[in-house]
Amino acid sequence: MAIEKVDLTKVKPYGDTLNDGMAQLSFSLPVPYGEEAREAARLLALKMGLEEPSIVDAKDLGIGYTYFVVYGKCKHTVDYSSIQVAKVEVDTMEKEEVEAYIESNIGRDVVIIGACTGTDAHTVGIDAILNMKGFDGHYGLERYNGIEAYNLGSQVPNEELVAKAIELKADAILVSQIVTQKDVHIPNLTELIEMLEAEGIRDKMVVVCGGPRISHELAKELGYDAGFTSGSYAEDVGSFIVEEMVKRKLV
Amino acid sequence: MQLMDLIRYKYKTVSVVGMAKNAGKTVTLNRLLEEAAEKNIILGLTSTGRDGEKQDLVTKTEKPTIYVMENTIIATTEDCLLRSDAKLEILEATDYVTAMGRVIICKVKARGMIEIAGPDTNSEIREVAMKMRFYGAEIVLIDGAINRKTTASPSITEATILATGAVLSRDIDKVIEGTQHQVHLFNLPTIEDETMKPLIASLMEDKSYSIIDKSGNVEVLDIPTAINNGTTIGRALTEESAYVILSGSLVKKTLEDILTVTELYKNVTFIVRDATKIFIGAKDWNFFIRRGFKIKVVDKINTLVATLNPYAPQGYQFDPKEFYNRMKRNLPLPVIDVMLEEEEVHV
Repeated sequence: MAIEKVDLTKVKPYGDTLNDGMAQLSFSLPVPYGEEAREAARLLALKMGLEEPSIVDAKDLGIGYTYFVVYGKCKHTVDYSSIQVAKVEVDTMEKEEVEAYIESNIGRDVVIIGACTGTDAHTVGIDAILNMKGFDGHYGLERYNGIEAYNLGSQVPNEELVAKAIELKADAILVSQIVTQKDVHIPNLTELIEMLEAEGIRDKMVVVCGGPRISHELAKELGYDAGFTSGSYAEDVGSFIVEEMVKRKLV
Repeated sequence: MQLMDLIRYKYKTVSVVGMAKNAGKTVTLNRLLEEAAEKNIILGLTSTGRDGEKQDLVTKTEKPTIYVMENTIIATTEDCLLRSDAKLEILEATDYVTAMGRVIICKVKARGMIEIAGPDTNSEIREVAMKMRFYGAEIVLIDGAINRKTTASPSITEATILATGAVLSRDIDKVIEGTQHQVHLFNLPTIEDETMKPLIASLMEDKSYSIIDKSGNVEVLDIPTAINNGTTIGRALTEESAYVILSGSLVKKTLEDILTVTELYKNVTFIVRDATKIFIGAKDWNFFIRRGFKIKVVDKINTLVATLNPYAPQGYQFDPKEFYNRMKRNLPLPVIDVMLEEEEVHV
């Protein structure tokens, strides 16, 4: 049997065989459960670019809402070979190396404050980077010698974060945005930068954002020095901060 | 209406800021580029965010591309240079590094599409704008990122254009209210008291938080910011106080805290450097004004025009004529629908 080769310029979902395009998705519609609801879901799936959509499950959610699970064949492809993703350029050092770097290049404690700002109550990201125990075997910045880390927790208003940064004379601010509705993380993130500008301290700090929906490119547009997405550890963020401080002569 | 007529011979640096993403900043920018080409104006062009990329990073919607003519001076990053098809001559590699590489100042040798992403802090933008003027730009345009408005500060650009649109809300009243509030803030009056002006300006320069009394005596408050220090400011007010100088930002909580400790705020005028330092929404603002707060600025923002985009990427739109007419009635400045005029030109 000849094995079909993957064409990276036209990638589509794999179900049972290569390029069959099979995809599964689920969603709810604000319509009462019934045959009409199933048809509505099918038509919507067609519009989404799924061919031969089949409604494999539909459940009445009550109060006139219905939940669906749909299978269909995706007719779109993406060119994987042309994808370029900007990543934070940082020579990640190990914990001990970061500590040594601070001692020889900065010569004082580096103050880092972090928070989940705005409406976001999900602290897993900021905790993974800042807290003592860290995440996945990578200790958090709190445990580093030469780093004074403050985790302000969740749903911190931007003005509180700015006030705290001024009070503690922070060298760096970390903002985490994990779960937000309707892209509210965007104006929330830009507001922080605008406040730092208004207070006249933007140039004196390294400002970093992170979260699953944040890319390094987006961070630039938002006015941040870097954006870290899922899969980043304390040493990545810590290395970036200390190297950036030295580069920008903020020591 | 020609936007360039509002700018040429009056202002050398102009910012385009948006009420939100997809409010139509790039369309406005393209309109300015076209007009400049017709009038043979050499432009300098940069952005605090990104422009000219085909797809929006957040909403994945198609974005207008940017086409520049010969001799235009641009400041953009290394990454963007590689993706631009205009032929460019590198004039200077700056020390400013962004998440997308170093900022490079170039001159367009052969027209074409470009992607623009300039420096992202105010002080760097100001430096780069000066450099572009030095390299021959008659007018420097600075496109703001997303909803960031600090480039409108008179310390960065001399005049500003505000882009607003349906993207703000499905409710047309909310879009109008939000835009009206922003324009109102941009138009906040400056201090009239000519004798006090130099004193106030110098206190601002010193980044101080201080109170000036009726005879001109200054009491400098020992606070690094007004945020969380509303009570300190409120308690320092006396019957004799005339002005409160706030050199940083002005947020809702500061005024709330002042309200709780004193009534004397009604007798004084609060002064911020310019409207980009104010972070108070329309409803709260109106509440504070009704309670008797007086807030003025040192530098007024020259808002030239509001540009409208009646289409929202979320898939709804306003009736362009109604939107235009209501905005025109409610805003104290010229209004144009850049999308509508764009269509008329290209039909």
